[in-house]
Amino acid sequence: MDTSVPSPFVNGETLKMFVGRRVRTVVQVQRNESGVLAVQSTDGHQLTIRGAPGAPEAPHYLEVMGIPDSNQSIRAESWTDFGENFDPVPFNGLCKLASDKYKYLFL
Amino acid sequence: MYGGGGQYDGGGGQYDGNGGAASANNLFGGGGFMPSQTTNTPEGSGGGGGFNKGRGSQTLMPLTVKQLMDASQTNDDKSSFAVNGWEVSTVRLVGRMLNKNERVTDVTFVLDDGTGRIEVNRWENETSDTEEMKLVNDGDYVIVNGGLKGFQGKRHVVAYSVRLVTNYNDITHHFLYCIYVHLDLAKAKRLASQPQANANTSTWNQAPLPNYQSASGNTAGKELTDLVMSVFHDPILGNMEHGVSVDQVASRLNLSDAVARSTVQHLADIGNLYPTIDDNHFKSALNG
Repeated sequence: MDTSVPSPFVNGETLKMFVGRRVRTVVQVQRNESGVLAVQSTDGHQLTIRGAPGAPEAPHYLEVMGIPDSNQSIRAESWTDFGENFDPVPFNGLCKLASDKYKYLFL
Repeated sequence: MYGGGGQYDGGGGQYDGNGGAASANNLFGGGGFMPSQTTNTPEGSGGGGGFNKGRGSQTLMPLTVKQLMDASQTNDDKSSFAVNGWEVSTVRLVGRMLNKNERVTDVTFVLDDGTGRIEVNRWENETSDTEEMKLVNDGDYVIVNGGLKGFQGKRHVVAYSVRLVTNYNDITHHFLYCIYVHLDLAKAKRLASQPQANANTSTWNQAPLPNYQSASGNTAGKELTDLVMSVFHDPILGNMEHGVSVDQVASRLNLSDAVARSTVQHLADIGNLYPTIDDNHFKSALNG
């Protein structure tokens, strides 16, 4: 059983703590330019997602699992279309709690 | 926005502070989990290995895989587990299905919820079990309700139900709920290990009500609102047709009229009390 590779929940702010390590986040697609996605994180940061061919168009929410190569871009390993009715506010709250006060329940 | 579409609450009988409202589906037993003060013995005094048992162990606990992996084994045969010092056997996990393997009598897969991975096994006793397992595949987000088992030092879950996530807000909800339940159990345990401070409310022997919040930040204010609420939960007064009057609250607790009125008004403002026949009589919104 491989429990050595958890994928922490991140938002735009906490992404920078995990550069080079696997994360997962939910972002809203703004533009899909030939496979490179311009997206907005749940806390309003502008990010770039590479390696997500076939991703949906704006304004869909997308869950991305992958490895951040900087504090503004993620190389996706897999993604899931979360549709247009995803609520970013509680997710953003969860990211804050899961990377800080209640980290011990997640990481 | 979470009503309707989601699968998360479909199981019923889950951790439910109000006990019963969510028990529409009898598959998992109703009532919901709430650590009751009557069964909730301080750690070490019960003789049961020092873990709180109560009825909590049979009810559904939302957990992260990390919490399951961190759970301690409670007894010598290593067959039961404790999280936060509470015995746990039925769990709810939400994560992605990986390595699905269909066999003649069962389906196995790995559940990855981002905090860890655990093996899940679903026996296919009925056609409905087989049908349900056909609907979920590798990469899908699923809600798993099942029993936590330990075998030869390895933990796995025997699933009672595996359902596809159709509303992705359920994922956020699940993890926030894990935090909430974790905090609520920690609070219940802390209360159980403290001497009973509210001895004057001895007639009220109910479970603590998790939805009951005091908006007041300071301790003195919280104690006052707790005391006032305890008057409303007194079975003798609580059953009165028109509810409890502000005068009764004041005389019960030896408070001035002004303090009693402002506290009652505050509790009404935050939704714990509601007025009945006039502005002087109130009932608790928490005891049904």
